[in-house]
Amino acid sequence: MTRGRLRATAIGMVTMVALLVVWEFAVQASGLPEFVLPAPSQVAATAVDTAPLLGEHIATTATEAVLGLAVGVFVGWAMAVLIATLPTTGHIAQPMVLLSQTIPTVVLAPLMILWTGYGLASKVILVALTVFFPVLISAAAAIREVDADHADMVAGLGGTRRHQLWLVRLPASIPGALSGLRIAATYAVGAAVVSEYLAGESGLGVFIQRSRKAYAVDQIFVGIVLIAALAGLFVLVIVALRRAVTPWQTAPARL
Amino acid sequence: MTGEPVLEQARRADAGETSVALGAAVSVREFSVTFAGTQRGTHPVHVLDDVTLEVADREFVAILGPSGCGKSTLLRAMGSLLDERATTEGTAQARGATAWMPQRDCLLPWRRAMANAMVGAIAAGVPRERAAARAARLFEDFGLAGFETAWPHQLSGGMRQRLALLRTCLSERPVLLLDEPFGALDPVTRRRMNQWLASMELTDWIGEDSEEPRAVVLVTHDVDEAIALADRIVVLSGRPGRIVWEVTAQHREDKPHQRFDRDQLLAALDH
Repeated sequence: MTRGRLRATAIGMVTMVALLVVWEFAVQASGLPEFVLPAPSQVAATAVDTAPLLGEHIATTATEAVLGLAVGVFVGWAMAVLIATLPTTGHIAQPMVLLSQTIPTVVLAPLMILWTGYGLASKVILVALTVFFPVLISAAAAIREVDADHADMVAGLGGTRRHQLWLVRLPASIPGALSGLRIAATYAVGAAVVSEYLAGESGLGVFIQRSRKAYAVDQIFVGIVLIAALAGLFVLVIVALRRAVTPWQTAPARL
Repeated sequence: MTGEPVLEQARRADAGETSVALGAAVSVREFSVTFAGTQRGTHPVHVLDDVTLEVADREFVAILGPSGCGKSTLLRAMGSLLDERATTEGTAQARGATAWMPQRDCLLPWRRAMANAMVGAIAAGVPRERAAARAARLFEDFGLAGFETAWPHQLSGGMRQRLALLRTCLSERPVLLLDEPFGALDPVTRRRMNQWLASMELTDWIGEDSEEPRAVVLVTHDVDEAIALADRIVVLSGRPGRIVWEVTAQHREDKPHQRFDRDQLLAALDH
């Protein structure tokens, strides 16, 4: 890490700590009741108390998000490659893809629950629906950026359409799909939690809903912190994955 | 890319059976090309007009012309690479298979230098082991030794262009079609590249183990590039491109570097 980055990180950390201190102090000084705004120290204490309960909720939400991400990335990436290879499929898919994006996925949650039940499937579908679009768009853009001239080059050397697919389109789509995935990672956790709000037996969304009904605001905060941490973890994993899979890219190109 | 099958078949047939009858490595006969307008209301563009040209075995021909004169189109036609918007008259064909090198290097950013070079062999169906052995030797000749595992973005413009040329050579195709191979480089580097290329016997590289005669066609708008490299220079007029001048290199003992009359070529370009 360079000195500049070290300094930037240090400033960020100090700001965070300062905000927490202000929050703590403000809550104690104003005497706000804890069912309105608990102090950070109390949220931390609650987190420790509820820790035995939380494991299962975290596991449920993480499973939904990971499976949904996997399905969404695969579908989005495959569609991008298909559309680049056979433009007609793009014309067929376009209205459906656009339509699916004009409907916020959360709005579809009741239908998914009705069709596939309260379990894992409905949430995975919702997460996948949220994720596939950014992946499709950035993979398709990555292919388009590299495609015409490079595919031409391959043809000029005697390559067939299959060569163009293997040598140019497929490899070009991967970094694109991965940058879409990075954007999608935070959406994925959000989509999983919101669909848990509506129905479910476990998961961080369920935990938050239960806490709300009990006016346990400190527990809601614990849930929020965990969701943020989970999304952050996903982003870190995806960034590491991208570094491993696309070693030719320089740091700025990965952003 | 449609329209390709016919030319492709003709080419294959020629390569197989009538190679003796068809003396030239590349032959273009009374060839005209018109591009249909891309949008409604735009007129068709007549790019090439009645071009007749033959490239002999082991010959290095430069096609010289102003921008937009259709020289790239002519080159693509020789490689059967015209797209579906092109309407053609006459014939343009190579006796053997061709390898075309575009103006931009088109290196694949996700492949290291050696793997990029191998794209030429993979696309052309050259056995991997033979190509890898040749590539190792050619990296030496092209001044790229030591950079086999570099990513394209780590190479200089000149090196990228040489790597692209190396990739084209690895296809082992008997006819090389080069579209302003150094056109994207700055003038100083381009001059250096041309001196380097002129010092090499490009026609010997294409398939050093094969008995098949080889030829190179280069397209350029740079008089000095053509002079430095070619055995013969064909000058095209502005659009629609017609051949206005054709000149073969003079081997003069007294002035070994003055193979062409530069002023005459410039005059022909202004025609």
